Amino acid sequence: MIIDHLDAPVPGSSLHPTLTGEAYTSAEVFEREQQEIFEKMWNCVLRADSIPSPGQWKTVTVGREEIIVVRTRKAGIKAYHNVCRHRGMRVCTSGDGKNKTLQCGYHAWTYALEGELVAAPNLTSMPDVDREQYGLKSVAVREWLGYVWVCLSDADQGEQPPSFEETVLGEVRTSFGAVESIDNYGIENLRCGESKTYDVAANWKLIIENFMECYHCATIHPELTEVIPEFADGLASQRANGEVHGASFGEQIRGFTVDGSDGVTEFPSIAPDQERKYYAITVKPQVFINTAPDQVIIHRMFPVSESRTIVVCDWLFLPEVVERVDAGELDVSKSVELFHRVNLQDFEACEQTQPSMSSRAYRSGGALVPSEHHIGEFHSWWTQRVEAGSAD
Amino acid sequence: MSFRACSLQDLTPGEGLRIDSVQPPIAVFLTEEGTVHALDDTCTHQDASLAAGWVEDCRVECPLHESTFSLETGEVDQPPAKRRVRVHSVEIDGDDVLVELSQDAPNLPPGVTA
Repeated sequence: MIIDHLDAPVPGSSLHPTLTGEAYTSAEVFEREQQEIFEKMWNCVLRADSIPSPGQWKTVTVGREEIIVVRTRKAGIKAYHNVCRHRGMRVCTSGDGKNKTLQCGYHAWTYALEGELVAAPNLTSMPDVDREQYGLKSVAVREWLGYVWVCLSDADQGEQPPSFEETVLGEVRTSFGAVESIDNYGIENLRCGESKTYDVAANWKLIIENFMECYHCATIHPELTEVIPEFADGLASQRANGEVHGASFGEQIRGFTVDGSDGVTEFPSIAPDQERKYYAITVKPQVFINTAPDQVIIHRMFPVSESRTIVVCDWLFLPEVVERVDAGELDVSKSVELFHRVNLQDFEACEQTQPSMSSRAYRSGGALVPSEHHIGEFHSWWTQRVEAGSAD
Repeated sequence: MSFRACSLQDLTPGEGLRIDSVQPPIAVFLTEEGTVHALDDTCTHQDASLAAGWVEDCRVECPLHESTFSLETGEVDQPPAKRRVRVHSVEIDGDDVLVELSQDAPNLPPGVTA
């Protein structure tokens, strides 16, 4: 058995067990994660406004599959496997483009933006070919928070996508609670003022575990701890039972910026409780949402291998803020710099941790202190998902 | 001698309709501007239905490659197709689209016969 069961912690003990090192280094475990987690759950893949007009498309990798996400003329945003139904060549051979149809470059099988096969050499003399049946294989799509989310559940195997309402919206609403509603931030109407991509030489779970706790904050995040002094107590915004705690700004702090100086225009409809606070949640398996009074920071993770993860981080602001930045009238670099530094600091720690995961000194894992015990909830969830696959 | 190819109701603005009751089949187009045109449906380069092509600025682009044909004259703008398609006369009678086929010889691609 490659996945060791978590030992139940001794009641009252300070230290709880982590996963074993192998969970972060085994290619076999990673393949099972792709199959049972990333290819079955909802993944947040790109900003809807990055493909604003009909015919614009981008390719994204989800699990072991390459997916085309395209804005159609008639049916909103759709997503397909990037596999020609004829002989299998990649239909789209670059990362993005704009076309009237999606055409394979091998034998010119041509698909409408809406997916069906519309033309192919000699197709008119093959009247038995069903244009829908031989259309591109579609995957489920939802738009939420201004992002395109896809789910690769395999319809051919009788799988249905898990309920978006329960698995994504439910997780977010539960975390944010009824009062501190995430809806107050109007995230779907914000615009992206900055986006950075980080190529991190670490397993995706190390990045999630890092994000879930703040025991490390006082040591590696001096700027963040200056803005949010309470993080020095080691308690993160994320707590046990999936609850989220609004972490208060320091008394002298004027904004969520690298030096605590003024931020930009605040969101008009946040609650008084949210005005000088930072909240963070994890939407399993690959999204982090961070909110401040004037910016929302969204991380999307794309695991590449057991030891490499691409993380895309977007900084969202009110549309008028981004317009003023584009016009050269406003500078948001101090707002962006705070979490960019946090990202670099976190990812360096993860990269310095990854090599030890294969050390015999970490063979049976490490320890979680009380302020990290809620990471055990993530580990239990992970064990359940991955073991479900091994039962197949 | 004209024949009833289809009804106006069968047509969608900006799209073509393949009529294969005649040989070679023809394509009837209704432009976004409201004009109706009839052409041979088969691209002169390779066997592809122009009715499935992209209609813009009174031209149709073959769905397979990048040649476009004028809906008014049938002439082609760029390779790989080199020869024009035939254009047929269209008359609208109420809702009926009446087409009189060209007497010219069709320019069919290799391997396709009328």
